[in-house]
Amino acid sequence: MSPFVKNPNRPDLAALQSDSDYDAIVVGSGISGAIIANELAQAGKRVLIVEAAPETDRTYEGYTEYLNHFYGQSAKDNQSPFPINPNAATPRGSELRKLDPLETNSSSYIVQSGPYVSDTVYTRVFGGTSIHWEAKTPRMLPQDFKTQTVFGQGRDWPIGYEDIETDYETAEREMGVSADVEDQKYLDLKFRDSYVFPMRGLPPSWLDEQVAQGIDNSQVELYGERYALKVRPFPQARNGIPNPAYDGGKGFEPTSAVASHQIDIGGRCQGNTNCVPICPVQAKYHSGKTLAKAFETGRVDLLSQAVASKVIIDDASGRVTGIETKVYHHVSSPAYKTVTLRARLYVIAANAIETPRLLLASGLRSKSGLVGRNLMDHAYLLNWALMPQICGTTRGTSCTSGIVDLRGGSFRRSQAAFAVDIHNDGWGWATGSPSTDLVELVDDGNKFGRDLRNAIIDRVSRQLLLAFMIEVMPSESNRVTVDPTYKDPLDNMRPVVSFAVPEYSMRGAAYARQFAKTLFARLGAEDHTHYDPSNYGFIAYQGDPYEIRGGNHLAGTHIMGSDPSTSVVDADQRSWDHDNLYLVGAGSMPTIGTANVSLTMAAIAYRSARKIIATLNH
Amino acid sequence: MTSSPRLENFVAFSAQITAFNKVEIWGTGLADVYLDTIDGLVGAAVTDALLDAFAPIATLRSDAARTDRLRLEVFGSERLGPVARAIVKLWYIGVWYPLPSTWQEQFGPTARNDAFVPTPAAFVEGLLWPAIGSHPPGAKAPGYGSWRLPPNIPSF
Ligand SMILES: Cc1cc2nc3c(=O)[nH]c(=O)nc-3n(C[C@H](O)[C@H](O)[C@H](O)COP(=O)(O)OP(=O)(O)OC[C@H]3O[C@@H](n4cnc5c(N)ncnc54)[C@H](O)[C@@H]3O)c2cc1C
Ligand code: SF4
Repeated sequence: MSPFVKNPNRPDLAALQSDSDYDAIVVGSGISGAIIANELAQAGKRVLIVEAAPETDRTYEGYTEYLNHFYGQSAKDNQSPFPINPNAATPRGSELRKLDPLETNSSSYIVQSGPYVSDTVYTRVFGGTSIHWEAKTPRMLPQDFKTQTVFGQGRDWPIGYEDIETDYETAEREMGVSADVEDQKYLDLKFRDSYVFPMRGLPPSWLDEQVAQGIDNSQVELYGERYALKVRPFPQARNGIPNPAYDGGKGFEPTSAVASHQIDIGGRCQGNTNCVPICPVQAKYHSGKTLAKAFETGRVDLLSQAVASKVIIDDASGRVTGIETKVYHHVSSPAYKTVTLRARLYVIAANAIETPRLLLASGLRSKSGLVGRNLMDHAYLLNWALMPQICGTTRGTSCTSGIVDLRGGSFRRSQAAFAVDIHNDGWGWATGSPSTDLVELVDDGNKFGRDLRNAIIDRVSRQLLLAFMIEVMPSESNRVTVDPTYKDPLDNMRPVVSFAVPEYSMRGAAYARQFAKTLFARLGAEDHTHYDPSNYGFIAYQGDPYEIRGGNHLAGTHIMGSDPSTSVVDADQRSWDHDNLYLVGAGSMPTIGTANVSLTMAAIAYRSARKIIATLNH
Repeated sequence: MTSSPRLENFVAFSAQITAFNKVEIWGTGLADVYLDTIDGLVGAAVTDALLDAFAPIATLRSDAARTDRLRLEVFGSERLGPVARAIVKLWYIGVWYPLPSTWQEQFGPTARNDAFVPTPAAFVEGLLWPAIGSHPPGAKAPGYGSWRLPPNIPSF
């Protein structure tokens, strides 16, 4: 497919405002919004995408601008490629600090009302957080869809694994997932008999192999049951080698970089080790690839620099009649024009913080009162060590393999499950390595010349970072709210987040630490893990220190269910209260298990698209 | 890049304190940019003092002898040590880290007092990456599947 994108802009605001012929307005150009827009357009529907950010990276030149911005920053925090935009701000970890009891910190874009301060982020650029994400794409386990029934924890989904298995396959095709089915059949995960992923699995790293040699086939015991361990590759939405057996032998053609002219890059992952925050060659899937197809139909328009500010409801019918949108002229000025945009049907796909923020700012709490509640995000616990041998750390994609044997099991009655990532990029996430190592070796170690070169090899190439992604169950007190005291320059209320890491997850974290120590002992690795009480993520649990990091897997804030009194949307992500309104995104997920959320989020977007098309055709 | 004796001295000094050879230092294309940056920050007089201190050391035959003298006369010097350490870090990771406040009180303020990347190429050309047989994140990609092979750490 040609990646050519025609300019879909609609800057003619007056004409746009009187254009009542759109089938749907989609707020947000991330993975969720892109899938809905493309599916509708392919079905002949006319769509307007409303995107808060400028469209910088819609062109190849704009994308490259992010990359240069990234190279030019001295502190490469994970939002560093993305320019500051106060009119549609993006949360940044560097703005955070620890809170005193009962304190609220409003100096960061997300107002933190504690008690726990999460450094979780999302990115408001064209393409949303998919420009920035790491692109791990495991499916949820069948048991994850019914944790209340099976383990007495969390909530059951109104649908099961079997109901979305085909949508998983569609999402894996769209995002171009590289994996081998043989590696992914574990616990209760199952695949259709003849199924293969679009592309072959990415090779595991040398570091993965070193860890595997040390621990494969060893066991751990948990609540009386034994679990065998094995290092396994993760499925990833980044271009590898197409599998000729895909689609009954038809094969698969990867989508390369999106550009306004033909360019010859993006075919295959080249091992840039920079998947987060930005892949230089666009081997990693981002929603721009789906949007390019949508724009090609000629039926999708884009209004960028347009912040949806109010969902307008007809009180009598409860139906949405329009979306009030603030269109700003430039990121450096708060000047804006307000327009009301109309269509037959409305889709809010602004992510699990911004979607409830918009609804709450519009005064829409839902009859269940659950808009904004049940905020979930994986709790990450980092453990880091030096391997006895040189492992060549810092090569490969951010992470190629991990340990997933404790994603499921009967222990989930008592404590959270987790998946473990083996980080190819070393201790960076935990310590700021390798620049912090360099500074320490030079300034404190008084090393230069040959001594320094040897010391750097010894310190960096042996690094092993295990990141434990711990499940967090829904809890109504974990929530996003709004407060007129806290507004952004466009006079939109900012999200206020209150979050506490649930006890169930902390029990999982405590076991995770013990599990990491066991692995390090089996590997003969030197444990360097330490948790700093002054860090904003610090938590003391049963007398022991932990630092919990945000997982960037925001979910739950417009939770799905089968009963309007206990959920915000139905199994098709249609709002129970407003029947021409769909809230699409991970916010609909009733639980997140131990799967990075986006593949499941994409799968349910396909389900919603079918329902929306059927409704529009009706 | 036009070469001058001063620039050549700077390259020789840089090679010694990074353990990369002069060809590799020239190969980054950054020697003149860095020399200008350093002159701009601490003043050419300090850079000259550093290069003058290195000149007799450069003539010593053994690396061990050069290292000993560098410790004593450059890295152990109140005036030159912090600058030399900042230059090592600049070559390795492409970031100029500000000099300690005590240095600035004693020898005068530097033109800038924040950590910064002199040019986007600085990050990409950082010597830390080749030192560990790797590549800078986001640039000079080694190719699909290369991460599966054992690391090839260059000897020096
Ligand atoms: C560092 C990092 C790593 C990650 N790694 C993974 C991973 O490996 N695997 C995985 O599954 N997930 C991962 N995620 C999570 C993943 O990126 C998100 O789940 C996913 O991108 C969310 O998609 P979305 O379309 O729902 O929302 P977003 O991508 O956030 O898109 C929302 C869009 O809406 C726009 N918007 C917001 N408010 C408004 C408004 N009021 N008006 C108009 N437009 C608006 C935004 O600008 C944005 O473009 C990661 C996230 C981060 C930050
Ligand atoms: S390893 Fe590199 S090329 Fe591959 S996806 Fe990540 S950043 Fe892109």
